Amino acid sequence: MDLQGQNGLMTTFREGWRSRKASAWLIALALLAFYTDLYFFDHLTEPAKALGLRSKWFLYSALYSVAMIGGAVYYLRRHGNARYNRYRIATNLGVQLVLAFLLPFVMPLLAGAPEDDYWKYEYFAASIWPLDHYKLHPSILRAVPLVLALTTVALAFLVAPLLGFFFGKRWYCSWVCGCGGLANTFGDPWRHLTATSTASWKFEKVAVHSVMFLAIVSTLLLFVDAFADTGETFHAVIAGGEWWSMKSLYGYVVGALLAGLVGVGFYPLFGPRVWCRNFCPMAALLGLTQKLGRFRIRVKPDMCISCGNCTTYCEMGIDVRSYAQSNESFTRAACVGCGMCAHVCPRGVLKLENAPTLQEDKARQRLPVVNL
Amino acid sequence: MRIVIIGNGVAGMEAALAVRQREPAWEITLVSEESDHFFSRTALMWVMSGQLSHRCIEPLERDVYERMGFHRVRARAVGLDLEARRVHLAGGLEPLPYDRLLIACGSRPRPGPWPGSDLPGVGHFVTHQDLAWLEEEVHGGPSHGGPPPRPRAHLEATSDESPYRFRPVARAERGGPPTRPAVIGGGLIGIEAAEVLHAAGLRPRFFIREEWFWPMALDHAESRWIAERMREHGVDVDLEHDVEALEGDGRVERVLTSEGEYDADLVVVAIGVVPNTGWLAGAGLELDRRGGLVVDAHLRAQRAGAENGSEDLGVFAAGDCASVRWFHGEHMPEQLWYTARDQGRVAARGLLGDGTATYARGHWYNSAKLFDIEYTTAGLVNMNVEGERNWFFEERGPVRSTTRVVLAGERVVGFNLLGRRWDHTVLLRWIEEHRSLAWVLDHLAEAAFDTEFVPPLVVPQGARERAPTGPAPSALPEPLAPPAV
Repeated sequence: MDLQGQNGLMTTFREGWRSRKASAWLIALALLAFYTDLYFFDHLTEPAKALGLRSKWFLYSALYSVAMIGGAVYYLRRHGNARYNRYRIATNLGVQLVLAFLLPFVMPLLAGAPEDDYWKYEYFAASIWPLDHYKLHPSILRAVPLVLALTTVALAFLVAPLLGFFFGKRWYCSWVCGCGGLANTFGDPWRHLTATSTASWKFEKVAVHSVMFLAIVSTLLLFVDAFADTGETFHAVIAGGEWWSMKSLYGYVVGALLAGLVGVGFYPLFGPRVWCRNFCPMAALLGLTQKLGRFRIRVKPDMCISCGNCTTYCEMGIDVRSYAQSNESFTRAACVGCGMCAHVCPRGVLKLENAPTLQEDKARQRLPVVNL
Repeated sequence: MRIVIIGNGVAGMEAALAVRQREPAWEITLVSEESDHFFSRTALMWVMSGQLSHRCIEPLERDVYERMGFHRVRARAVGLDLEARRVHLAGGLEPLPYDRLLIACGSRPRPGPWPGSDLPGVGHFVTHQDLAWLEEEVHGGPSHGGPPPRPRAHLEATSDESPYRFRPVARAERGGPPTRPAVIGGGLIGIEAAEVLHAAGLRPRFFIREEWFWPMALDHAESRWIAERMREHGVDVDLEHDVEALEGDGRVERVLTSEGEYDADLVVVAIGVVPNTGWLAGAGLELDRRGGLVVDAHLRAQRAGAENGSEDLGVFAAGDCASVRWFHGEHMPEQLWYTARDQGRVAARGLLGDGTATYARGHWYNSAKLFDIEYTTAGLVNMNVEGERNWFFEERGPVRSTTRVVLAGERVVGFNLLGRRWDHTVLLRWIEEHRSLAWVLDHLAEAAFDTEFVPPLVVPQGARERAPTGPAPSALPEPLAPPAV
């Protein structure tokens, strides 16, 4: 087995559907139409019921799984020669099929819950607050079984930051998360389309931290509302001349528009990580733990030839080449640790690692380490 | 102060940026015949295949010239007047006056010495214009990223002998893309050309004069694996084929070799590069026998025949065109990306008037990717070192790799490694520390740089105890004394 072959990448920019030609626009339009229908209409409920699925969301999850399996086959044919890629994609698929589809479907049945209470047992363990904003709403926490409520809190405030500290945000963003899973399988053919300009980096920093701020504040306000027993007074905003609860506004704008329509619909035009990079509050929070933690990309000094494969195939738009060229091992908050920069590097300059500690390692290797 | 830099590549750009960092007001002019924008020449193969676009191989955003206040001149330099401190340009342009000059004009492809080397359908794979030629031949035009930016902008101000002129395209006479392309020359550019032709769905023929591919860097066993892998990919590797002529009626149709005649409707000549210094022929600067601009430790060019450092010409050279002193005392160019960058930085200190910066050639190291096989080398390999012995191990398991450790007496002086990634900084440290073979084999894991989850290299006891064999074949006729460290 070759370790770092890259035959599958060779013709990327010569294939129209991968380089923003008409076929790419058609795929984008189809995806946008699908998501518009999913979020704002109800055509999918009937077919879901006909298939024995409880709601259109389970049908969506089933389609999502099919897209991931198809994408994973494509991905593994191109990049499966590296073990990191094989293990990672297998984990993504396992999480999707078991934690995101099978378990939520059977848990209410196993618990013997009455049909009206099914939703309380449909627990999506892989979507963690603040990506899954609803999970931590006081009304939801009170309604679901205690063990699930505790799991929600533990995952968000203990497991996620700790793993983020030791392994970087990759443990979630590119091994577990459903959005990342779809991006790295179905969305992988378009990873080179992510913008790498300085302007896109500036936008990313403002946008992603704004959404993170919004997610945290709106969750806090919900708790204020719950304890002050004021209904949703504190938690309302004016939008379009009407009073909206922040809860539904957040669901609309962040959940449906940004994560679904923009996030997936624009895969073929702007790359598969538009949502993760610019809007995901979970990615922003984990990015902060990553900055403080041990994950980093190590650069072998004075070996880079500036070819640009790493920067081009970085799905988060990080200019990896600039670090490699200046011999700087680095940790960037945005990096989801997909490993593609190291995989495509023709000179073997890059290596993802969980350093013992950054400073200790710096002293040992005599390598410059920068954090930007 | 007026700084003129001939060349817009890595050495020239590094120097320009370093000068600008210290001197915000100096006038800096970059002269390039080839390209409007700084790009990575080492990445041309991926633009050809479609793995990268032209934008992808430009390391800096295009507004860098504006932001840094660099003037650009898109023209061919054709002469240098050392007394008047002017660079003459082709196309009737005004001569460029300078106070200090950096020559960083790089290499040009070595032209084919055979009859028929100028036929339409014959070309090289070194410059932007070569890339445009090959894209035109094979694909009928550029890929998604478009052609190189303004590839013909220099045509008004160039001359016939320029390496940046366009090669005649034979696609129309041929009636379509080539069906039987050939690559001549068993080195790195040759294997890259073969790889991109293969990626375009063709079955290239690869003519190599030597007994095996890349004898300068590989030994027979290592090279056999590379050839085997090339053949698996569908490249016809023809070893020991000495090309004698290229033939055809109005375009190339056949390659005549010592072993017979072969059909070929496209030929990429990749027999190395030479310093692009033809335009300096009458300038009075010292050139080595390969045409490289001889420089001293400060990267100052010198007047032909003059005593070293006896005169301040204000002329520096860096990158592929500069002939620097190697560890064995000979002056030769170093045709590597990272040395060009380092030389650009040192030359910048000279341009700034700082006479203290020197360029010291360190240990040799390099890496490459030969189709999908990783290659790392460090130290003295195939250099015919005195008392040389080679310890060799071939790994055949989940990972296939070869490990060659070069010894001078009991001391490790070099590594040649295929199939895995290694940290050359660790290997070089071991060489400096005069480690023994046994010690190195005990510590190999510390130099491993494979991606995560790749099983580590395990050398079985039997192989460890295998006695190293005699010297590897070398291009150097005389044994080389191991350098003192």
